[in-house]
Amino acid sequence: MRDAHPSPVVRLRDVSKAYPGGASVLRGLHLELTAGEYVAVIGESGVGKSTLLNLVAGLDAPDAGEVEVCGAPMARLGDDQATLLRRRHIGFVFQAFHVLPHLTVLQNVALPLALNGLSADHAVVMLAAVGLAAKGQRKPRELSGGELQRVAIARALVHRPALLLADEPTGNLDPATASSVLALLRRQVAATGAAAILVTHSALAAASADRVLRLTSDGLVPA
Amino acid sequence: MPRRRAAWLLALALAGLAPVPGRAAGPAFAAVVPGAPLSFPRDHGAHPDFRTEWWYVTGWLDLPDGRSVGFQVTFFRTRTGIAPGNPSRFAPHQLVFAHAALADPAVGRLRHDQRAARAGFGLAEAAEGDTRLVLDGWTLDRRGRTYAMDILARDFRLALEAEAAGPPLLQGEAGFSRKGPRPAQASWYYSRPQLAVRGRLAVEGRETAVTGRAWLDHEWSSELLDEAAVGWDWAGINLDDGGALTVFRLRDARGNTRWAGGSRRWADGRQRAFAPGELAFEPRRHWQSPRGPARYPVEMAVTVAGPGGGTWLLSPLLDDQELDARASTGNLYWEGAVTALRDGRPVGRGYLELTGYGTRLRM
Amino acid sequence: MTAARLTAALAWSALRTQPGRSLVAALAIAVGIALGLAIHLINHSAVAEFSRAVASLAGEADLSLRGRMPEDVFAALAGDPDVAVASPQLELRVNLPGRREPLTVLGLDPFRAAALAPQLVGRPVEAPDGGRGPAGGGLALLEPDVVFLSPAALEWLGLAPGDRLPVQVGVATRELRVAGSLPAVGAGRRLGVMDIAGAQWTLDHPGLLTRIDLRLRPGADPAALRARWADRLPAGTRFETPGESGERGANVSRAYRVNLSVLALVALFTGAFLVFSTQVLSLLRRRPQLALLRVLGLTRGGLFALVLAEGAVLGLAGSVAGAAGGIAIAALSLRLLGGDLGGGYFNGIVPALSVSPGAVAGFVALGVAASLAGCLVPAWSAARARPAAALKAGDEETAMARVRSPWTGLACFAAAGALLSAGPVDELPLPGYAAVACLLVGGLALMPWLTARLLTLIPDAWARRPVAGLALTQLREAPGYAGIGLAGVLASFSLMAAMAIMVASFRVSLADWLDHVLPAQLYLRVGGGGETGFLAPADQEAIAATPGVARADFLRSRALSLDPRRPDVLLLARAITRDRPAARLPLVGDPVPVPRDAVPVWVSEAVVDLYGVRAGDAWTLPLGGQGLPVVVAGVWRDYARQHGAVAMAMEDYRRATGDARVNDVAIWLAEGADPGRVQAALRERLGAGEGLSFVEAGELRRISLDIFDRSFAVTYLLEVVAVGVGLAGIAVSFGGQALARLREFGMLRHLGFRRRDVDALLALEGALLSAIGVAAGLGLGWLISQVLIRVINPQSFHWTMDTAVPWPLLLAVSAVLVALATLTSVVAGRRALSVGAVRAVKEDW
Repeated sequence: MRDAHPSPVVRLRDVSKAYPGGASVLRGLHLELTAGEYVAVIGESGVGKSTLLNLVAGLDAPDAGEVEVCGAPMARLGDDQATLLRRRHIGFVFQAFHVLPHLTVLQNVALPLALNGLSADHAVVMLAAVGLAAKGQRKPRELSGGELQRVAIARALVHRPALLLADEPTGNLDPATASSVLALLRRQVAATGAAAILVTHSALAAASADRVLRLTSDGLVPA
Repeated sequence: MPRRRAAWLLALALAGLAPVPGRAAGPAFAAVVPGAPLSFPRDHGAHPDFRTEWWYVTGWLDLPDGRSVGFQVTFFRTRTGIAPGNPSRFAPHQLVFAHAALADPAVGRLRHDQRAARAGFGLAEAAEGDTRLVLDGWTLDRRGRTYAMDILARDFRLALEAEAAGPPLLQGEAGFSRKGPRPAQASWYYSRPQLAVRGRLAVEGRETAVTGRAWLDHEWSSELLDEAAVGWDWAGINLDDGGALTVFRLRDARGNTRWAGGSRRWADGRQRAFAPGELAFEPRRHWQSPRGPARYPVEMAVTVAGPGGGTWLLSPLLDDQELDARASTGNLYWEGAVTALRDGRPVGRGYLELTGYGTRLRM
Repeated sequence: MTAARLTAALAWSALRTQPGRSLVAALAIAVGIALGLAIHLINHSAVAEFSRAVASLAGEADLSLRGRMPEDVFAALAGDPDVAVASPQLELRVNLPGRREPLTVLGLDPFRAAALAPQLVGRPVEAPDGGRGPAGGGLALLEPDVVFLSPAALEWLGLAPGDRLPVQVGVATRELRVAGSLPAVGAGRRLGVMDIAGAQWTLDHPGLLTRIDLRLRPGADPAALRARWADRLPAGTRFETPGESGERGANVSRAYRVNLSVLALVALFTGAFLVFSTQVLSLLRRRPQLALLRVLGLTRGGLFALVLAEGAVLGLAGSVAGAAGGIAIAALSLRLLGGDLGGGYFNGIVPALSVSPGAVAGFVALGVAASLAGCLVPAWSAARARPAAALKAGDEETAMARVRSPWTGLACFAAAGALLSAGPVDELPLPGYAAVACLLVGGLALMPWLTARLLTLIPDAWARRPVAGLALTQLREAPGYAGIGLAGVLASFSLMAAMAIMVASFRVSLADWLDHVLPAQLYLRVGGGGETGFLAPADQEAIAATPGVARADFLRSRALSLDPRRPDVLLLARAITRDRPAARLPLVGDPVPVPRDAVPVWVSEAVVDLYGVRAGDAWTLPLGGQGLPVVVAGVWRDYARQHGAVAMAMEDYRRATGDARVNDVAIWLAEGADPGRVQAALRERLGAGEGLSFVEAGELRRISLDIFDRSFAVTYLLEVVAVGVGLAGIAVSFGGQALARLREFGMLRHLGFRRRDVDALLALEGALLSAIGVAAGLGLGWLISQVLIRVINPQSFHWTMDTAVPWPLLLAVSAVLVALATLTSVVAGRRALSVGAVRAVKEDW
């Protein structure tokens, strides 16, 4: 599938974004990401790391510039088209896990498959891959933070997205758990062949990436 | 009298009424007692003090195409004796019924229609003083020697005038006609035979001029049928020589004659009343009704002894002249046009009535 | 798991996690649907039975002439060349001694009816002895004292063929012989059939007909016949086809039925509102979850469908339960109250319940639609939310920013004003009902804004103490949340207050009216409801001359048909002097002077509304054959007859009609006379038994008010339901808020708030909010009550009333509501805290 996109998985060209509150400002961002590439983005709090991910995911629109995901001009798509693109080609991992409390672990993992109209079978495989095969029928509240983040990783990759977006995935975890989750994430991303953007301020987390970029008020620069 | 009870029953049943013998709480009805001579035109009119009364026209009509049909038009008046004190104009002191039938061999059975109403409001009346009858548009009136009738039935219309050649034929003893062994079983009864008919008959939208010959009976009484009788036979024949023959008998359960009577009038006006013992009725051919158990002697030989006597064979215009009133009374009886033959030659035409052949008439 | 099943699974899990709220919302929908469907089914059954009765009476007639007429009309019509059969009838409501409800007896000519309506011709039951049956056999049908009864009448009266039926004629009792049954008359129809001459004579209505059924000759044109006879018919009669007769049956109870239906809709509206508030709170709580779904790829449409699906599940559950309940209520009511819910429109008809699947399906659909409507706005706003922002907690208040604007509410109020200036539609106060809905919605929409305004009025000094300060800040800064909790109070309490004010106004006005119309001490009534009970002139003289009677005022009442499409009005002839009509009639406005040579009449308010006459107008009443020219001398208030009443002086009535009979007598007792003795003396003088009923004025007044209270029992019940639903709404919204604010409470506890400090915080918030809600509800309720009193009641029932506010009741209920709301708030908060504190931290939602 990914080979069907000879162009980069993500391409940002001269992207700018400002909020009326003026909290975070992105200016003149350039980024290209090819399949299988694993990039970490680091930066100060409030510099706009999450905004960057939102722009890539089509959850927010840039004031200027081009956002291309899997060859599609994300910023110029309508909400429904952007949503469908996101549904098909992007996986998310959040700092706060964001696992639906009323669904079982397995159901949570299967969510993207259901949204894409695919069979839920692969969710079992994916859950096993993150080492939670035995806890599929549990409710999220019975799981530890590290386990919840594994669930989130399984959910993010279960539908074999072209791109994984991770926003401080270890921010809520203790260092030991954090490193095992990071290793798992790296392994699974590699296994699915997806490109990945990891936003973090943790040096440990950044160290696991192929390349590390720093987000500053002047743009993305190599760290 | 007995023959008319068929129409009487029919008419009552029409209204859902079942007459009950010997209604106890009734008012005094006028009695038929001999001695008081009939007086015309007063006695052409109604006699509301008596229980029952009828005007009964039967006859043969000749159509332009040479065919003949039989017809009957009956008006019947009954005094109910119900609540004589009721001042309401709707009070059912007197009821008027009417019945009309047409016997056409081409149809193979009777066409008939019937009406019933309480007297009043000019809609249903049997006038005193002369023959003036009306029932919801059906009329029978006497004007001089002519009776005019206009009957718009469900599937035919009769508009006829019938002119009498001679004076009324008073039956029995000057109109006092006995109907049973007991002297009280009697009626006032006169006939108008040999009525010359002309008028119009409309059937299925086609109207034709007709001529013919008819017979009118007018009879009134307060007394009811003899309890031993189950039915009766009656015939009235207009003889081709201008004479008239009336015969009737009452039968008991075994078919024997319980009472009989009648009269012969000649063209020159002479007449003779028959005594009960002078009459003999002999069935010659029976017809089985398809509607019920009745087997009617539709061909009947009538023999009269004494002066002016002889044997007449009555032969029906068509076999099925059974009147089906089962929907109302449950009764079936036979009332039809007949030809009178003597020694195999037709000598007159008239009507024959046969009742009580299936079951005893329901009373 | 397909997308649709995913949606269903998510919707179901969402509902399951808040079972209490879901249940209350579904229950409110169920109550609305149950009441609405029950009212519809009961009325539908009654109208269907009424139509069947009309059809069976008319039989196969092409045309009927209806109205009181002399019997000569029959002879003339029957002689018309276009008429094939004319069947005369005299229909009388016959008084039965010892029974309040009269029996409808049809006098007809069986010879003529047999052709048009054979089912009305009685079948005599023949006795085993072959004829001398119970009715004397023979010509039983024509006997003047013989009656045939329909199966329903036989059952009602507990009679069998052969029995005697005592009936009241004048003040005397006569016995009719029951000769048989009328098996083909509709099962629910109480009817007797007599011979027409017997009915005229035995029931003492000589010369009168009320109806002539006609069958025309083939090819005759009914319109031509009508036109030909138009000028020759007596006043008050008219031709009608069987279809036209049936229509009137449906119209009789229309306003009453619509009123009840609207009350049911109020419950449904409350249900829809509860679904709304349930969904708003649920969505607020689930904002991050829903945002996650959006991030994972659920489209806006998908999210919208998800929220609507939750509403549909609620609506369907409520509606199905409601439909079952409605059918049960209808069946029970038909058995206990009859087809008119105590409204008195379908006398003599006992309908069987007929449930049409279409109606049931329609009401279920209505319930689902109401629930969906309640979900629309929350669903729309949820779908619009920006997922990236919503993923962060603490964003709820921005979602409510929109509702803070007062303009929506003011627009609704303006719309209500515009609707009120419109007249009734199709004689139903539909714009009035719509205005009430607008006022409600407007009030709800204004609530957040109003709350914010009111809260700024509270002096900051009050907020010095930490708990009070926090409560006030919470309410001021998050009025959207507060508004939702408030809306529940407002919706239920304003409707309850409106109904309470309307009912109280009505009752006070009715009591005044009763004082006015019942000036004498003792009332004598002959034949309530029937037409065969009356007092002849000799009886009247006897009454006036009875010792102990100081004065006797006689009253003649009878039905008068002014318009074939409307129910009859009641004509009241009594001792009214043209100079002082107010002595006998509760006049509205001033009487107008009437020329000396004119006949004055005074009409009830309903007549003004329905027939368009005004005081001072010249008018014609269908009395005495040619019609009687009269002048409308004044308008009076009449709570007894919503189809209208016309009063005239007794001597004018007698001159016009020659009818010297009366039905009612008002008796002033002589000084010191004992009412009981006077009654006994009157009974003796009149030689009358059960047919006479005496009532003392106080008793009559009490009975009238009892009937009033009973007929408003349904209303009271609905009020209780509305308040209960409102309280449930408060519990739901406070509970929801408490859950939503778990983290806040947890944080406060960490900061050193004791449990009872949190309780106090919640109690204060609850008390403040509910007090504001109750105050606003009182105001809104007063507004709505004015719409009910000044618009809806006059348009539905054609009577007016003076506003009377039942302050003690309203204040008591207000206090109870505030107390309950406060308590509810604390209880809901405690429950939320006890189960959720640990989880709150862990889940981080």
